[in-house]
Amino acid sequence: MSTGKRTIEFTLNGRSVFADVAPHWNMVEMLQGVFGMTGARESCGQGLCGCCTVLVDGAAVTGCLQLATLSDGKSVETVEGLATDGELSPEQQAFIETGGFQCGYCTPGMLLMAKKLLDENPDPSDDDVRHYLSGNLCRCAAYPEIIAAVKRAGELRQE
Amino acid sequence: MMPFEFAEPTTLTEAVELLDADDPTVRPLGGGTALMLMMKSGLFTPSVLVSLQKVEDNYREVCAGTGGSLSAGALAPLRALELSDAAPAVVRRTMKTLSNVRVRNVATIGGCLAHGDPHMDLPPVMTALGASVTTVGPGGTRTINVEDLYEGYYETVLASNELIAILEVPATAGVRAAYKKVTTRAADDWPALGVAVALTGEGLNVAEARVVVSAATEKPTRMKAAEELLMGADVTDDLLKQAGDAAVDEADLITDPQGSAAYKRELLRVTVGRAVRSALEVEAG
Amino acid sequence: MATQMTTVIGQSIPRLESDDKVTGRAEYIHTLRLPGMLHAKVFRSDIPHGHIKSIDTADAAAMPGVYGVYTGEDIKRVIPEPYYGPAFHDQPILALEKVRYVGEPIAVVLAEDPHVAEAAAQMIYAEYEELPAVYDEIEALDSEAIVHDELKPAGTFPDLKHLAGRRDTNIAIDYHLTRGDAPGAFDGAAHVFEHTFRTQQTMHTPMEPMATVAEQREGRLILHSGTQSPSFVRIEIARLLGWPENKVRVRVPFLGGGFGAKVYIKTEALAAALVLLSGHPVKYAQTMEEQFYTISKHPCTFRIKSGVAADGKVLARECEVWWNGGAYADIGPRVTQKSGFTAAGPYDIDNVKVDSYALYTNRPPAGALRGFGIPQLVWAYESHTDLIAKELGLDPLAFRRQNILKNGRPQAVGTELVDTEIDGVLEELGRRMNWSAPFEKGEGPIRRGRGIAVGFKASISPTTSVAIVNVNADGSVVVHCSTTDMGQGSDTVMAQIAAEVLDVPIETVIVVHPDTDVTPYDMSTLGSRSTYHMGHAVRLAATEARDKLAEMADELGLPEGSNVPVKEVFIRKFGMQAGNVVGTGSFKPPYQPTNHETGLSPNATPYWMIGATGVEISIDTETGHVTIDRMINVADLGTALNPEIVATQLSGAAVMQLGFTMTEDMIYDGGQVTNANLADYKIPGFFDIPVTMENAVVEAEQKSGPFGAKGVGESGTFGVSPAIANAVDNAVGVRISDMPLTPEKVFRAIRGAASQPLEEA
Repeated sequence: MSTGKRTIEFTLNGRSVFADVAPHWNMVEMLQGVFGMTGARESCGQGLCGCCTVLVDGAAVTGCLQLATLSDGKSVETVEGLATDGELSPEQQAFIETGGFQCGYCTPGMLLMAKKLLDENPDPSDDDVRHYLSGNLCRCAAYPEIIAAVKRAGELRQE
Repeated sequence: MMPFEFAEPTTLTEAVELLDADDPTVRPLGGGTALMLMMKSGLFTPSVLVSLQKVEDNYREVCAGTGGSLSAGALAPLRALELSDAAPAVVRRTMKTLSNVRVRNVATIGGCLAHGDPHMDLPPVMTALGASVTTVGPGGTRTINVEDLYEGYYETVLASNELIAILEVPATAGVRAAYKKVTTRAADDWPALGVAVALTGEGLNVAEARVVVSAATEKPTRMKAAEELLMGADVTDDLLKQAGDAAVDEADLITDPQGSAAYKRELLRVTVGRAVRSALEVEAG
Repeated sequence: MATQMTTVIGQSIPRLESDDKVTGRAEYIHTLRLPGMLHAKVFRSDIPHGHIKSIDTADAAAMPGVYGVYTGEDIKRVIPEPYYGPAFHDQPILALEKVRYVGEPIAVVLAEDPHVAEAAAQMIYAEYEELPAVYDEIEALDSEAIVHDELKPAGTFPDLKHLAGRRDTNIAIDYHLTRGDAPGAFDGAAHVFEHTFRTQQTMHTPMEPMATVAEQREGRLILHSGTQSPSFVRIEIARLLGWPENKVRVRVPFLGGGFGAKVYIKTEALAAALVLLSGHPVKYAQTMEEQFYTISKHPCTFRIKSGVAADGKVLARECEVWWNGGAYADIGPRVTQKSGFTAAGPYDIDNVKVDSYALYTNRPPAGALRGFGIPQLVWAYESHTDLIAKELGLDPLAFRRQNILKNGRPQAVGTELVDTEIDGVLEELGRRMNWSAPFEKGEGPIRRGRGIAVGFKASISPTTSVAIVNVNADGSVVVHCSTTDMGQGSDTVMAQIAAEVLDVPIETVIVVHPDTDVTPYDMSTLGSRSTYHMGHAVRLAATEARDKLAEMADELGLPEGSNVPVKEVFIRKFGMQAGNVVGTGSFKPPYQPTNHETGLSPNATPYWMIGATGVEISIDTETGHVTIDRMINVADLGTALNPEIVATQLSGAAVMQLGFTMTEDMIYDGGQVTNANLADYKIPGFFDIPVTMENAVVEAEQKSGPFGAKGVGESGTFGVSPAIANAVDNAVGVRISDMPLTPEKVFRAIRGAASQPLEEA
């Protein structure tokens, strides 16, 4: 055991990667510092706002409360992985269509939560959306548009 | 946060050996949510974190036990309870408003029970259901009722090198249960008051009753006088009012940012009845 | 060139930057990293008021990995007079001699590793000689605690000059308005009502905390900053350094929310000083907690008194408003005056007296927050309005209708209303609320009620915006302006204006983000001023470019209105795809300052913004919980240039104000904010928004505005708080006069009214 960095290997948005991480780094620090990916970003620092949301082995987690070292051997997905070959995902398209953001800072977290909700529940009600996204905050308060966006994304996914 | 040593034992026994009863800077890391919060705010500076994420798989499983009971590994995330058909309905319902999906994906059953924060939802519900935990320590294993797990505010009977391994919930066939969580600062908040009830009996008749108060008290606490009133009686508005009053007389409520003790008394007075009504409305099990 | 309008105006064009925001690519300063960059972590005061006896930085400086530790005295090495502020030069970059609130920056650590900087900052120790502290705006009037020994007006505003050197007072500025004879009119009034209302201290909590990354190149300072005020930051930093403006460059990408938190100097001055002291690029990015120690919204006490005739006509109104500005004035003096003159409300009252005071206290500074003080005022005057109506047995809507201020009539400040549909907004709200129909108030523990409120705001004046519109040789268009897009959609609207004037598709227009090297002066992105002011500047710049293009076509012998593409015109002119056409526009609306004696001005504002809210609520009388079943927000914003963005501005503002109304409150213990985090300071989430919400605009045109438009960013906040308090009164007959309306407060009021008051603890 040591307090120094160690090399971890994991899958990042489908690609195999290595990273040298210190034991106390969180996921956001690793994504921004090692990979230059700024889609997951810290805001409240307490797991309440969801701006730092990432998916680890398919489960949404709070990036700023997740030690980076725990990613070893796992699959990590971020907002940067949503679009494929330049084509926006249904969630991304729907958020634009319904105006589901204003300043955009919380948007990556909202999108990843939307994706996971729709993976589990392709046709969510308003209340389902509220429950699933209740750990994500939007100070611009685009909440009505976000609910509409998630439902619209559900439709787009089925088309 | 400053660097610390990070240990990843592969067995629970090994994890226990890495912990130190006398050194509070060595802590186990389950999901890490609460611990990371304490570390980020400078409340806790670890020398060693003992990750439990690589210990035996059986501590991550949630499965039906014998005769309708539930057995859950302490390292299973709360989300596993939420999605398990084997979990009592009241547990699954409670999970839906426990923090948020991301926390439930990560936070472990064991961590949630061992943290000792009276605002948590799982301890009162498990107390109402008569659940128990099996722990592993240097001296071997022991079984503790969840009801007896807490000694005070953030205080449990667990030694710092003792880990919860398994949660056992007895069969809930015939048990109607509900958990009422009252928040006062925003809908999604730590509760000002939690009331869990578990009842047996038919229709409006209550045979056995457990009424547990949390969040407004220093630790999850059974309201024995209210339980006495309910047991063997038919539920009426008047009885519920009496039970609420009895709970108010019995509970030692604290003032905190969620509200004054005086206000919480009034919340408790009506919430006991609301929780019982809510339990009577659901299917047993 | 075609002459037919493209009519991109009035279309709900999606935000130009949509793709970047949904892919995570959008740039925010909080995530910016530069090579060789050092992180700054601040050590803050833990006492509310005192002289600094000593600062011990030795342990922090000795920590491995620490680059340097700096105090206020070190700052003076590069900035001899390190005091900043838009209205008063009262705020030191790091505390000098005194600290004035818990959380005030005292020292700063630089390190390559932010964790090291943070740990080292915790190893700094300060010794103080404590002084008495004052937190309450009323107590500050005659407290023995004096926050500043001497007032230091900035000189930016001529009307503050007379305050220079004033001593031994906590009153930073006072504003007085006298219209007619209020005291005399009270004597003749059938009824006189007097109430006092209070609001609490709240914080903007933009999701992107405040941040600046600063670096030095070619003898210049470059500030990459999440600021709403790039031009002001450049001017103020240049002033502090004694440099010309062109040696400071301020670059602003997107802001993760602003709401007034990021106006004027916030993180910029410290970052600038640290670059000069260390020679390295420096990042000063705050945490959510630190934002609470940086800026907030004024708590306010408002005593309002009205004289009303027997028929319900309001004859006179007297307003005394005390604004709790915290330890540093920031833009509080502007709030005191510019909002102060609307304190009597959107009513036609002949006799008005307003006395508005900005007070220093030992709290974190207060500044502008989505409404510039207006929501605090509307809270009082619209609660007061309902109380009068109730007392006189009048319908709240009818009483408002009877007294509402209409076009052609002067507002209390003496400025005549033009293109201002206060009555139209009120009527539309009444219609949507179905106000004349009976309303079911419920029985049993759940009671229902409804309430309305209308507020208005003048534009902060006088202010200037400058824009450049550049038409490239292929006809593509570049708009240069220093308006900051913090989510309000200004980039999109400016592009729409340019596209409309130049008659080109919106897709061919881009908007350069503020960069003071290439985007011209703008007063600031605040106070719902950009659509009107910068909108005009862009319109003028685009018009000049269009005229130059027409001139060029004319020179080439093309007939007027010819449909030869712009690209072809350039090729004919330059023989190849070359050259460009640049138009500039500068806009400053007419303005007359208020008279120092009377507080009056015939032209105090170029336009008025109107917002009204109606709510239907349910109250759980056994717990005090209030549910907003329905919320309707109606506004007059002139012509909506982008209806979708306008609607979301209204609902976003209303939900933000809903948070301030129901839950948000900075709680103090001995001057220390005890809930400076989102776990304990609860902002609205998915479950806190109204069950149903409607956002509407009235048919209106601001003829002096660009394409008939005026501002909208704040209007949704105006009516929310009093509408809810009025609905609570309507439902259960209790009046809450101090925000927020927490369940416990509502429950206590209900029990108090039933003569069963709850004990204190």
